[in-house]
Amino acid sequence: MEKWIVLSAMFLLTILVFVVKRRNGRRHGERAHEHRHSFGHKHGGLISIDYLAYSSKIRHWNPTFKVILSVLTIILCIALNNVYVSIVVILAMAYLVIKVGGLALHDYLSVLAIPLAFILISIFAIVIDFSDQPIGIYHLYLGFGYLYTTMAMLKYGVFLMLKVIAAISGLQLMILTTPSSEVISVMKKAHVPKDFIALMNMIYRYIFILLDVFAKMKNSAESRLGYRDFKTSCYTFGGVASNMLVLSLKKAGAYYDAMEARCYDGELMFLEEDKKVEIRLIVPAAVYVLCLLLLWYLTR
Amino acid sequence: MKKSHKIILSIITLGVLFWGSTPLAQAMHIMEGYLPPKYCIIWGVISLPFLAAGWFSIKKTLAEHRRSITILAIAGAFIFVISSLKIPSVTGSCSHMTGTGLGAILFGASSVSILGFIVLIFQAILLAHGGLTTLGANTFSMAIAGPIVSIGIYKLCQALKVNKYVGIFLAAFIGDLFTYCVTSVQLALAYPSAQGGVAASAIKFLTVFAPTQLPLAIVEGLLTVLIIIALETYATTELTDIGFVKEG
Amino acid sequence: MKNRILKVDDLHYVYGNGKLALDGVSVEIFEGEKIAVIGANGSGKSTFFLNLNGVYTPAHGEIIYREMLVNKKNLNELRKNVGIVFQEADNQIIASTVRAEVGFGPMNLRLPKEEVIKRVKEALAYMNLSGFEDRPPHYLSGGEKKRVSIADIVAMKPEVMIFDEPTVSLDPQNAMLLEEVLLKLGGEDKTVLISTHDVDFAYRWAERVLVFCNGKIIADGTPLDVFQNMEILKLTNLKQPTMMEVYNVLVEKKILPDTQAYPKKVQELKAVLDDCAVLLSG
Ligand SMILES: Nc1ncnc2c1ncn2[C@@H]1O[C@H](COP(=O)(O)OP(=O)(O)O)[C@@H](O)[C@H]1O
Ligand SMILES: [Mg+2]
Repeated sequence: MEKWIVLSAMFLLTILVFVVKRRNGRRHGERAHEHRHSFGHKHGGLISIDYLAYSSKIRHWNPTFKVILSVLTIILCIALNNVYVSIVVILAMAYLVIKVGGLALHDYLSVLAIPLAFILISIFAIVIDFSDQPIGIYHLYLGFGYLYTTMAMLKYGVFLMLKVIAAISGLQLMILTTPSSEVISVMKKAHVPKDFIALMNMIYRYIFILLDVFAKMKNSAESRLGYRDFKTSCYTFGGVASNMLVLSLKKAGAYYDAMEARCYDGELMFLEEDKKVEIRLIVPAAVYVLCLLLLWYLTR
Repeated sequence: MKKSHKIILSIITLGVLFWGSTPLAQAMHIMEGYLPPKYCIIWGVISLPFLAAGWFSIKKTLAEHRRSITILAIAGAFIFVISSLKIPSVTGSCSHMTGTGLGAILFGASSVSILGFIVLIFQAILLAHGGLTTLGANTFSMAIAGPIVSIGIYKLCQALKVNKYVGIFLAAFIGDLFTYCVTSVQLALAYPSAQGGVAASAIKFLTVFAPTQLPLAIVEGLLTVLIIIALETYATTELTDIGFVKEG
Repeated sequence: MKNRILKVDDLHYVYGNGKLALDGVSVEIFEGEKIAVIGANGSGKSTFFLNLNGVYTPAHGEIIYREMLVNKKNLNELRKNVGIVFQEADNQIIASTVRAEVGFGPMNLRLPKEEVIKRVKEALAYMNLSGFEDRPPHYLSGGEKKRVSIADIVAMKPEVMIFDEPTVSLDPQNAMLLEEVLLKLGGEDKTVLISTHDVDFAYRWAERVLVFCNGKIIADGTPLDVFQNMEILKLTNLKQPTMMEVYNVLVEKKILPDTQAYPKKVQELKAVLDDCAVLLSG
C-alpha cells in the first residue's frame, strides 16, 4: 500500500512540475503579447487568485463556514500527520473547489503549484543526508563524506510532501472560494482589533490601486525601451516603484478627505451581507471531519 | 548499484530540482503544512511580543494623527506590491523582492512588523505564498528578524559614516541574507538531520536554497538603493511625512 | 423667494504649505438651484467644495447651513447634508465590494441596518447598478466606478450634491448617462453644484454660474449674463458656449431678429428658426 502511495505521489509531482512549467512558459509568452491575460482580467494575471475566488460558484457560501472548514482541515493535516488523511483531504478539497466551486482543473493545479519550488527544494534537503559511511540505498561519494538516502527517508519525504500538499489544498478551499474582503470580515467577527481590520481593508483596496498605477507606468516605460537590458531594467524598476509610492502617498490625504466627506469618524464600518449557514452544508462538513478522525484512528 | 548509475541518477535528480525550482526565485515563505504544530505555535509565540510592540507604536501614531492611517495602508500595500512584482533578472527567471528591507528603512522597523504581518496574510490569501499555520515562523523571519537587522545595519553605517547608498545596499542585502538564514534554521529545527542534528540540517537547507537566495539578495540590495535614489529626487515632502528624511 | 440652504461668508482657506487657495469667497445657495462652477485648474473649486462639506476648516470666514453656524461640534450635520462626488472615483472608493462601498456613508450616519440595506438598493437602482452588489471595485470599468461613486452619495440622501469635474474621465456614453442622472436629480428638486470646464454643458444645464479665479468668485449670475461678459471669459480663458455663438452669428447675419431669446439646445434653436420663418413668410 505505502509503496503505491509513494509511486502515485511521484506521479502527482510530475504532473505538478509539468503544470508549473507550462504556466511559466505562458507567462513568458505573455510578456511578448501584453494583452493576453491568463484569466481574462486586468492586473496582468498577477493576482489571479482574487479573481478566481470572486468567480467561484460557492462564493455565496457563508464565509465563516468556509474559513473554519479550511483552517480545521489544515490543522487536522498537520496535527494528525497521517498519510491517508492527507490523501483524503487532497481529494476532498479538489472535489469541493473544482467540482462544486466550478474552477477549471488547470487553474486549480497552477495555484497548487505555486509553492512547488519550495516544496521540491525543502523536501530534497530532507531526503538526503551526510554520513562518513556509505549507507542507505543510494549514496554518493563527495570526497569528504557520503551523500546518502534511505528508503525510510524517501518515504518520509514523500509523506511529508503529501501532508504539505494536503494542507495547501485546505488553504486553497479558502483562498479560491472566498474573496479577501470576506476573509477580513470573518477576522472581524473573531474580534481582531478594529484598527487592524481597518488597515487590512485599506491595504487590500490600495493594492489594486497601486497595481493599476504600476501597470500604466510600466507600459509607458516599456514603450520607451525601459526594459531593453538588465541594467536599464533595474533603473526603470527603481524609478517606476518609487514613482508609484510617491504618487500614492500624495493621494493619501485625498483618500482620507474622501472618507471624512462621508462622515467617517475614525471607525471603519462596512455593510456586509449576512450569508446564512445552511444545515445542508454543516452536516456533510461534520461528517467529513469525523471521517478524517476515524481514518486516522484506524490507521494509526 | 553501479557507480555510473549513481552518478546519472544524481545528475538527473539535481537537474529536475533546478529545472523545477529556478524559475521561481522568491523570498523563502515556509509553505502551509510544512511545520509541525509545535513549531507553528512556538514561532507564533516568539513573534507575538514584537508584533505587540509594533501594534502599540502604530496605535500611538494613529492616536496622534488619525490621518496617518491612509499613509500606513499605502505603505503596506506598497510592500505587498513590490514583493509581488517580477523583478529584472539576468537569467530570465522569475524572481521577487522581499521589500522588507526597503520597508524598514522607509517606514521604520516597528511599523514594518505589523505591516509585514498583514502583507504575509495577503501573500497567503492572494498569492498562495506561505500559509496560515506558518504565519508565525514567516513573520519572525521576514517581518521581524530581517527588518531589524536591516535597520541595525543602516544605522550602523550611518554612525560609521559609510557612504549612504552603500549603507542602504548593505542593509537590504544583509537583511535579506539574514531572513534566508533564519528561515533555514527554522526549517532545520523542525527537521533535524538523523546523523548531524539541527546544525547539519541547517547546512543542508542553507546549501539547497543558496542558488536562488544569494543572487536575489544582491538584486534586492541594488533595487533598494535605486528606489531610494529615485525617491529622493522626486519628493521630499512625502518622505518627510513618512519619517525617512528626518532619519536619513 | 426660495429657502436659503447655505451661506458662505468671506471664506479664506490656506493649505499646509502656505498656499492661499480661497481668498474671501462669499455666496448664498438656495434650495433646488442648479449651479455650475467654472474656473481654470487651480482656481480653488475643489478647495471650495471641501470647505462646503466641512472636510476642510477655513482659516477665516464662516459657513451657515440653514440657520446653523457651522462649528467643530455640528460639523457632521453639514457633512450629512452636503455630499461630494470626488473628481477621481479611485480616490473616493474605499471598500472592496460595491455593497460595502455604497453602504459606507449610510453606515457612518449610524442608520439601522435595514435602512442601510434599503438605501443601498435604491441608490444602486438609481445609478443603474443593480446586480453589482458583490463586485469588487477593481473589476469595474472607469464609467462603472464613477457611477458607484455617485451612488455613494445618492445613498446618503444629502440636500446638496456636489460633483467635482464629473465628466473629465468619462467616455461620451457615460457622460450622457451622467447628464440623465443630473436631470433626474434636478427633477427631484435637489440642490446640485457641478464644477466643469465644459461651457456648453454649463450653459445648457445650469440656472446659475459661479466663476472662480485665483481663489475668488469673480462672477455669479445666470449663464446668459456670465457668458455674455467678455471680460470674465477673457480673464478665465473660456470661450463662449457654441449655442450662444451660433445665435450671435445668426443675429449678425440678420437671419434672426435680436430678441435675446438665446436657445439652449439644438431643438430650441430649431424652434426659434421655425418661429422666425413663420414670421417672415407670414
Ligand atoms: N493638498 C494641497 N496642498 C497644497 N496646495 C494645494 C493642495 N490642493 C490644492 N492646492 C492648491 O490650491 C489651489 C486651488 O486648488 P484646487 O482647489 O484643487 O483647484 P481646482 O479644483 O479649481 O483645480 C491650487 O493652487 C493648488 O495648487
Ligand atoms: Mg479640482
